[in-house]
Amino acid sequence: MKQEVDISVEFAGIRLANPVLTASGTCGYADELGDFMDVKCLGGFITKSITLAPRKGHPTPRIVETDSGMLNAIGLANVGLDKFIEEKLPAIGQMSIPVFVNVAGETFEEYVAVAERLASEKAIAGLELNISCPNVQRGGIYFGTDPALVTEITSAVKKVAGEKVLMVKLPPAVTDISAIARAAVEGGANALSLINTFTAMVIDIETRRPVLANRTGGLSGPAIKPIAVYLANKVYREVARDRGIPILGMGGIRTASDAIEFIIAGASAVAIGTASFVEPACAIKIIEGIKKYCARHSISNIKELVGSLPDVK
Amino acid sequence: MLEKRSSTKGVFSTVVSFNRQIGQRLYRLRLEFSGPAAESFAKFRPGQFAQIDLSGAALPPTEKIPEGLRDASGRNILLRRPFSFADVDTQGNKTFVDLLYRVVGPASLRMTTLSAGNLLSIIGPLGNGFWIPQGKKKALLVMGGMGAPPLQYLAKVISANYPDIEVTAFVGAKTAKELPFEGRLDEISQQLEFALREFAKYGAKSMLATDDGTAGHHGPVTECLSQWLVSSAWARDTTIIYACGPEAMLARVAEIAKNRGIDCQVSMEQMMACGFGVCQSCAVPCRVIGSNETVYKMCCEDGPVFDSREVVFS
Repeated sequence: MKQEVDISVEFAGIRLANPVLTASGTCGYADELGDFMDVKCLGGFITKSITLAPRKGHPTPRIVETDSGMLNAIGLANVGLDKFIEEKLPAIGQMSIPVFVNVAGETFEEYVAVAERLASEKAIAGLELNISCPNVQRGGIYFGTDPALVTEITSAVKKVAGEKVLMVKLPPAVTDISAIARAAVEGGANALSLINTFTAMVIDIETRRPVLANRTGGLSGPAIKPIAVYLANKVYREVARDRGIPILGMGGIRTASDAIEFIIAGASAVAIGTASFVEPACAIKIIEGIKKYCARHSISNIKELVGSLPDVK
Repeated sequence: MLEKRSSTKGVFSTVVSFNRQIGQRLYRLRLEFSGPAAESFAKFRPGQFAQIDLSGAALPPTEKIPEGLRDASGRNILLRRPFSFADVDTQGNKTFVDLLYRVVGPASLRMTTLSAGNLLSIIGPLGNGFWIPQGKKKALLVMGGMGAPPLQYLAKVISANYPDIEVTAFVGAKTAKELPFEGRLDEISQQLEFALREFAKYGAKSMLATDDGTAGHHGPVTECLSQWLVSSAWARDTTIIYACGPEAMLARVAEIAKNRGIDCQVSMEQMMACGFGVCQSCAVPCRVIGSNETVYKMCCEDGPVFDSREVVFS
């Protein structure tokens, strides 16, 4: 009899039925993708960024397509913590899969206040600390590029996060991403997610002005995938593996093959972002594709695949 | 009663029936739907839209690529492209939809190589279409450039379901060649009451305007609307304006409607990545009724059709 492939993973103490999540800012607050797929089939779900007060976001244009990618500058538009808890959390409670809330802010105090309030909410499994958003003037990536600040903000949030798993989302455009990863782990991070988007710009040569109202935006999509795979592997080898810290890999994944590359590089789980805009149910296809790959390679448990890339050339 | 939206959206497969050039850089594409997709798209409302994946369509041969698009043409297409429909027709258990497109960039350039039998992935029906409040007797359809197709379909729906409503179409473009209709339009004078057969076939009057005077009235189409409001008999409560086109035109139509106290619905356009509310790209600044506050609504989910009093035009 053919043995069923076990693709469930233990992720910082949380059991995920499969290693595929949907990434923050690409799947709404809860079940917005429910028109296209059974959200319960996902390994997990990450909400869009939540800040203490509601944010309207940036003027338009907020996006522009690039070669095999896109830039976005939404500006962390969200309903704010109170409305999130009141209106969105009940739907999250119905989802019966692990849900991470992405936490953002402009000051240390704001991050801590949001995290503290969410720590007591039973419906959520963990927090994803967004210290890498390239699209806000204050906060965001400012905190994520200095190791000392990363340790400081991670430990401040960790103190109030209670039982919740704390995952820190890393920026890609830093001198040494491992230094940032190490700083997050020293601050108490239980998991690392990487990468966030790259700060980038598109210029309209007829008007000689930036296309985006915000001037710059975050580059995502297939264009960034090889860099993301490299950075996931770097952080896995240099920081995460020896410390037993799981990595959530992301950046341009749109097929099972893409996801498997990240897992071989060292990611315990992966997140689907931009691809959900094009194929809203692609996460489900990716889950099926991972199972088929494992069966084809006689892998009975996906753990065998995680970080299976040899260190040597 | 025409509902704002049908709630049967999904990702569907559709087959190209034909893809025909009808003017300079202008094409008519007919798509055929079967099974559950046919049911969903049979309920497609005028002004709703669908997102089509064109990433797999081939480029035309180099010599057929217009000079101005050569640089952009090699770019890979990542995101779907949104389209509204000019016509929806059911025949037996199949649904046929017609969309008009103009070649403006790398995705629409690739569309020109689609041919009968090709399969496309399509997400829809999306967003809110035009709706018809109780008691209306006159519908004034104001359109600019590629804003015309959804209002052609609206004219059809009104003529089929609302025999009491008289439709008049005001059709504008920069120049005669950019009017998204078939045939010689530059011979049409501004005196003609039924200028376009695409509206005449639904019993609707229509008049043309071009910015350069190459067809119909020489000037913006909104001048035709203003003149009509001066010279025709109409009542405030029983008249409604529907508009689709460039934002500057929509802003002017909204202003005319406000000054005259006429209900008005506008179809807005914004760059969008997803089309179903998760990317938050397509923000439209809107007034909060009863306050000075403005909020961003999403063109895809809250629109694309809005009450004109709600929209803050830039």
